[in-house]
Amino acid sequence: MSNKTKNEPVIAYSELAIRNNLSIVEYCRTSLAAVSGCTAGVLGLTGSYGAIFFILAVTSFWLMLLCKAGVDSWKKFFISRKSLLLNGLFGHFFTYILCWTFIYGMVHVY
Amino acid sequence: MTADLIVDPQIRFWVFLPIVIITFLVGILRHYVSMLLSSQKKVEVQQLADSQLILRARALRENCGYIPKNSFLIRRQAFNKEDGYLMQKRPPVTQNMMTDPSMMTDMLKGNLTNVLPMIIIGGWINWMFSGFITTKVPFPLTLRFKSMLQRGIELSHLDASWVSSASWYFLNVFGLRSIYTLVLGENNAADQSRQMQEQMQMTGAASVMPADPKVPFKAEWEGLEIVEHQWKLADIEKEMLQE
Amino acid sequence: MGNFKKDLEQLKRYRENNDRKSREVVQLWENSISVNIENLGKEKHIVLEQVCIAAADTFRLNIAQRCIQELYRDFPNSSRVRVLESMVYEADENYPKALQILNDIIKHDNTNSAAKKRKIAIFKALGRYPEAIKELTEYLKTFMADVEAWQELSELYLNEHDYSKAAFCVEELILHNPHNHLLHQRYADIKYTHGGIENLEIAKTYYYQTLKLNPKNIRALFGIYLTTTALLNSQKNMPQKKKDSAQKAAEWSIKQIKKRYAEENNVDHIQKSLAALEI
Repeated sequence: MSNKTKNEPVIAYSELAIRNNLSIVEYCRTSLAAVSGCTAGVLGLTGSYGAIFFILAVTSFWLMLLCKAGVDSWKKFFISRKSLLLNGLFGHFFTYILCWTFIYGMVHVY
Repeated sequence: MTADLIVDPQIRFWVFLPIVIITFLVGILRHYVSMLLSSQKKVEVQQLADSQLILRARALRENCGYIPKNSFLIRRQAFNKEDGYLMQKRPPVTQNMMTDPSMMTDMLKGNLTNVLPMIIIGGWINWMFSGFITTKVPFPLTLRFKSMLQRGIELSHLDASWVSSASWYFLNVFGLRSIYTLVLGENNAADQSRQMQEQMQMTGAASVMPADPKVPFKAEWEGLEIVEHQWKLADIEKEMLQE
Repeated sequence: MGNFKKDLEQLKRYRENNDRKSREVVQLWENSISVNIENLGKEKHIVLEQVCIAAADTFRLNIAQRCIQELYRDFPNSSRVRVLESMVYEADENYPKALQILNDIIKHDNTNSAAKKRKIAIFKALGRYPEAIKELTEYLKTFMADVEAWQELSELYLNEHDYSKAAFCVEELILHNPHNHLLHQRYADIKYTHGGIENLEIAKTYYYQTLKLNPKNIRALFGIYLTTTALLNSQKNMPQKKKDSAQKAAEWSIKQIKKRYAEENNVDHIQKSLAALEI
């Protein structure tokens, strides 16, 4: 997964490996959005509670990911920590809303 | 619950759920149909060579610091001289577009799998499930969203967070995109909305593949002209010995 | 069944790492895969292809034939399978037949790079190097970004002792993959072999670069020593200052080599680092 590192501050990443890592993370994040949306729906969260729940889920996932990659060694796998949190957040929020609405409608509206 | 409006539970099973399932299954179906219809594009040797040429020129531009100056100059000369690689004349391809029958069938197939189901399924759902209130979004919305979420229902006093059946369908069409990536893997054909965008671009300018290599050639030519060769290894001996 | 799963994983690992472990692959095939062809599922065809190549490599032609038959049953008109078939003929040293198949494919589909490459490989196997070089340059006119082909061409030129052209090919490789220390090392080797003061200077620089990219590369250290001493010997009227620094560099490199050997003075380790030096 990680790539050769030089003893100089310049670090070379293998583009292929990085892309592979990012696509795996993307997959996890989509699943997370769907699952957390369903959870929010079942719990019957409304309004800003739902949004807070989403932010909580995403942040905790981000922290877990950093833990998994190692607090010191995440640099081996990803270029930027921030983009790991923020990339495609909006799209995931959309997925979250859909699942949330769907399950909420199924459980609580009728 | 804050259900100031009581909705018949039958709607849940006969409207709300079917719409989700139909949109999802249609998406999957589209994926497989387009896989079935997709013909392997016959690539012209010339096109292949052009794209590889651009790749090579780019590699030269980006990593020229790693080869000696002389070698770089030789290459740049080969690319950029009067009749070099990047100055080759190509017959304009765009005219072929309409005359080439394979191109036409490709476009037709694209339409067949993209636009047609969208219209047919959308129309069908509109006709079949019109006029139902299906669900309520669990967050408050301003009146501005009324026209978006309550298509097909003209009730001015209804709270904006109720969703009509037609709007629920459109929400699904756009929202299921990431679910498809989960189920079908990336680069699937089920993603209607993205393909719509692509189609828009296609009618606008060129298609995805470089139909006319002149433009990227010109860009690479300019890039190579500008780039200044700096040998990255010039001081490496000193650097290494200092350690 | 458990064995079968494990073997499949092993095969996949070989595929992903691009290992040429033909003997092992054939062994795995005989152990468990061959009786379970129908259970391969999605991986069936790719496994068959892998086994076929491995079998041709180890001259187990009947296994290769069987794989090809299986593949033909699913893809009767695939050019990829036909390339495989030609490879088996090639393994059997039936070159005219293999060439005939390949020419046929190329006539059909002018963009089939695999067939073109096989053709060049046949020329090489026949020892017709000039022809192989000609074909390969022709190929590279179309597939300019094919790194493998550039590497092959550089090796062919080395066979012909055409060092400047080989160096050109390696430069091309470096452009596409500037962080691979082996490429830099190869470039330095070629320049050093070519000789001449200018080339020696370049070789020295690239040995340093190799060492920078991979501090464990002992060949680069040795290269530095050789180039600096060669430079010292070839230039009589070198300015004193430069002479001193060159002397220092030579001493430094030899010291480094000695240190490295003192650190890792067992045969296993040396063998391992030698193996790592192959491109």
